[in-house]
This record gives sequence, structure tokens and C-alpha cells, in this order.
Amino acid sequence: MAKFSRIAIANRGEVAVRIIKACEELGIETVLLHSEADINTRAYRMATKTICIGPAPTAESYLNIKANVDGALAGGAQAIHPGFGFLSENADFAEAVTKAGLTFIGPSAESIRSLGDKVHCKELAKKAGLPLVPGYQGENQEVAHLILEAEKIGFPVIVKAAAGGGGRGMKLIKSSAEAKELIESAQREAQSAFGSPKVFLEKYLDRAKHIEFQVFGDSTGNVIHFFDRECSVQRRHQKIIEEATSPSLSDDLRRRMGEAACAIATLGKYKGAGTVEFLLQDNEFYLLEVNTRLQVEHPVTEEVLGVDLVKMQILTAQGEFVHDPKQVRVPRGHSIECRIYAENPFMGGVPSTGLLGHVEWPEGPGRRYEYGFDAGDTITPYYDPMIAKVIVWDETRSRAIQKMIRVLQDSVVFGVHTNIPYLIEILSHKEFVMGTMTTRFIETYFSEALKEPELSSLDKKIAEGALLQLRGGGTQNQGANTSPWASYWRGI
Amino acid sequence: MEIKVRVDGVDHKAHAQLIKGTLWVHHNGRVFTMDASTGRKSRKKAGAGGSSDQVVAPMPGKVTKLLVSAGASVEAGQAVLVMEAMKMEYTLKADIAGTIDSISCAVGEQVALGKALIKIKPVSDK
Repeated sequence: MAKFSRIAIANRGEVAVRIIKACEELGIETVLLHSEADINTRAYRMATKTICIGPAPTAESYLNIKANVDGALAGGAQAIHPGFGFLSENADFAEAVTKAGLTFIGPSAESIRSLGDKVHCKELAKKAGLPLVPGYQGENQEVAHLILEAEKIGFPVIVKAAAGGGGRGMKLIKSSAEAKELIESAQREAQSAFGSPKVFLEKYLDRAKHIEFQVFGDSTGNVIHFFDRECSVQRRHQKIIEEATSPSLSDDLRRRMGEAACAIATLGKYKGAGTVEFLLQDNEFYLLEVNTRLQVEHPVTEEVLGVDLVKMQILTAQGEFVHDPKQVRVPRGHSIECRIYAENPFMGGVPSTGLLGHVEWPEGPGRRYEYGFDAGDTITPYYDPMIAKVIVWDETRSRAIQKMIRVLQDSVVFGVHTNIPYLIEILSHKEFVMGTMTTRFIETYFSEALKEPELSSLDKKIAEGALLQLRGGGTQNQGANTSPWASYWRGI
Repeated sequence: MEIKVRVDGVDHKAHAQLIKGTLWVHHNGRVFTMDASTGRKSRKKAGAGGSSDQVVAPMPGKVTKLLVSAGASVEAGQAVLVMEAMKMEYTLKADIAGTIDSISCAVGEQVALGKALIKIKPVSDK
């Protein structure tokens, strides 16, 4: 396969930036396929070329297969990287990309169909003899039928989008009474976020840990794993803190789960980066799903293993990446990632949108930031609320936690509210520090809205003094952005 | 911008910025906001405090479902409208019991933060 000279990116935000960086390192140009709403973003400024593929609503831009393929062709790219979310696990997209004579950076359409569709994946897992959580994955999507199936499984039951991820299209049903409303809501969210209303049901394990294995199939189809991540800290079924490696696995469990992960990926003829997700309860593990793409939390694996998964994805698509059997990979130290969401933690986490003011991510050893916006950019209501990821590495887990708290305290985001105070509370919680948290950690110990701490008299005096200085001679304090988009969003 | 404020002879370092009448400050490991005109801690913009006879958009987003129609009676805490923002659904509830007086939004409409979406005539308001 020929070496790529230009790659199109069918995505936005921090992952688009991440892909551009990997391409730059490989001497590859980039074409960013973006919506009208994403002109004031970092990826837009960084990409070699940018092509607008449609208006803000995702169905008309980021989820539009034809617009993305046409954009990549018009931009002169030889390949498309789908990032995560949007079309990254859409087999029809992978197929359309290949049909257009381009390379899809990811597994084949066939692999996505068998593993990425959560329903087919479970059938494959059954064949492989992997333990599964009891549930319903049938074709009958009538709400009345789904309610019947949920009753058969026994509440609590979780309804999930078949094509889903990131907590969208996912609801916990505690009783028959609320089943109808929640299933319908999940179907609407699934349609809106992934372009398909298909859902499935699963028994809800109430004391489980979420453990996943990073797998990687090289150009020859040889699959190995890059160890595990723990992502038990979830809010509304959305991960917010992830770490590598998991503090909960014994050597034996780690070996067995790693083997199971590789087994199913090999069955699915997997190429490139993928993740096999498990629930772990009472030392028994169950296959949850396979994500046939790069994941949001991939940096923690990169930090403990010293690898570049995105670069490896590109090299694999070029036919140039083969696992070296002599190289023994051993995780070193501990890495934690926090997702920074544009939301107000003191108001139950409602989205916070608008113009970003001053933004500062303090540098230092063992710190890494992945972000898609700079000061003066706008956070719109159209997309996922994640605006940045903060990743730390240190020699031990407790030092990594300590470092992360410090980093979050020193980070500055003005203009939109963020969940940073919420993250600091979680990282300081005994259960998290001990590593004994389950997926119910947040709902058990934290209320929806964090209580806003009172300002100290010193805080108030500093605010008064700051106001005087800013009004006194400040010329550069109004977020000097003159873009028409910025002024539009400023009003919201 | 980075500023220094002298309090009781000691210079304290902070970041501060004025954005649309709101003062944003980062000091001592946290970000807080103040209303720059009143000097008071900035309050939630939506809702306007207290139990309200209006259902107000707590965020900018799209109205995806209306669960009530004009004239219908509602209980306090009853779900009346579904909004979507950032790909998640949020169900808005009535603060008070009463009848739906007016609905000033439509399904599919993109609404701004703080927009009054539904007005409720309180049950006691004869």
C-alpha cells in the first residue's frame, strides 16, 4: 500500500487535533472536514486544508457519509481517519470510503459489522464462549416488546443504543412504570447521536467495575493487547475519569481478561486500535462490548506504555505496522485522565455554552493536555460537552492522583463553566483513593449538583481589586475576538 | 489576564477577566464568577430564583418534545418538556401546580438560555 501524503479527518474537537499532531509527525498533510459551527476551533486553525461539509446539526454534516467522502476526495486525501463518535463505528461509512478508492483508517467494514454492532458482537462472543451480561439484543424494536423483554430480564435493566457510546442513548430503567418513557428517550437520543434508533437491553450489574483492554491488530492481522484501563467513574453512564492500569486486577485476572479480549478481536479479524470492554463483579468478568475505534481514554494507555496509538493506526492502514514479538510491553507507573466538560457542576451539570475567555493548562513533567479550543473560540450547544482532556503520569497511583488534583486546581477556563470542581471532589474521595469504586460510585456518594463553596473574604477582596484593575486601564480584557461566529454565540 | 491584588500588605496572584458583564476569577485553586455591576456573586441566570410560574430553558438547546398542551392541568414536578443539548436529553419539570397558560416554543426550535418556554397559571390563581 502506498504511503499517505494527505489524510482527511472526519471529526472535530480534541480528537481532530490529536490526529493532526500524529499526521504532522509522520509528514502527512491533513484535510479537516468540519461543520459551519466549527470555524472557531483549534483543529480548524491547525489543519493543512479545511473543507466545510455542512451546517451545524450533526445529521447534516458529521454524520453525513456522502458529504464526508466527497469532502475527502475534493481535498485530495488518500485516507480518512474517523476519530471517535460520529461515523467512527459505522460500517456503511467504512464501506463508502473504500468504494470511493480511499483508505479507511480503522478496521474493515466487516469487522465493524461483527464487533462494532453491539448486538452482533454478543453473538460472536457467545460462539467464543465469553461470559455475557444477560439481556435482549433482538431485532424487534417495538417499545411494547422491549418492555416485555425488560420484565423478563428483571429490573434494574439498562437500555443502550446499539450503535452507541459516550452515554448517549443509554438509560437505567428501575421499574416497569418508567420503562416506556426511558426506552423512547433512549431511541431518540440514539437516532440523534448515531443516526440509528436501534437499542438493546442488558441486566444492570450494581456493584461492577468497568475494565477495558486496549487491543491492536497489526497489518498482518495479528492481535495483541496493550493492557487495561479502569473507567468505573461514570456519571449518567458517561465516563469522566479513566486510568491505566486498573487498580483492581490481580495478575491472574489481568492475564485471563487480556486473553479473552484478544480472542474476540481475533475472531472479528481485527485491524488497528480497538477496545474490549468488560464488567467485573465478584472476580467474574462479563463482556460488555467492543469499540471498533480509538477511544477517548487512549492517552492513559499511551502514557503507561510509551506508545502512539494514532500513529500506529495510520501505519497499520498503510500496511506498515507489525507487532514485534521480541518486544515485551510492560506498563510503567500510573496514568489518569479527566474529561473536562462544559457544564455547570453547581447546577446539576447543565451544559454551559458560549465564548471561551482566558484558558490556561499549566505545563510540567508528566502532564498532557488534549484540547480542541483556545481563548476566543466558542462552545456551541450542537455537540458533545467535552472540551478538553487532562492526563497525568506518575510513578504510583497515589502520586498520580495528587498530581491530577494540583493540575486541575491550576487550570483556568473562563467564559464557560466546567466540571473541574466536581472532578477534584471525586479524586479526593476515599473510595476513589482506595481504588474500590464501582460504576455506581458517583450516584452513591455525590448528588447531582455540587454545593457551591462560599467565597472567603480574601476571594472577595481579590475580585474587587481585579475589577478595579480591569476597569482602570485594561485594554485587552474583553476576549478580543472579532469573528462573526463569536459575536453570534456571545448573545447566548 | 494575570493580576496581583494587594490585601493587607500582601500581593496575591490571580487570573481575572471581564466577559459580558461577568467577572471571572481564578484564585487559590478555583474559578468563580461575580456580577461585575453589582459586585455580588453571580447567580444562576435561568429560573430567576424561587418557584416559578414559568418553565425556562436552563441551557441553549433544541426543544425535542412537548409533553403538555395549553389548558392542560399539571402537578408540581410533572415533566412538561424535553430539550436536547450536546446530544443529551433533559426533561424540564413544572415548578408549581396549575394549568398550562401558554407555550412559547415549538418542537424542533433552537432556544436560548433563559428563554421562557411554558407559562403556568397557578392553581390558586382564580
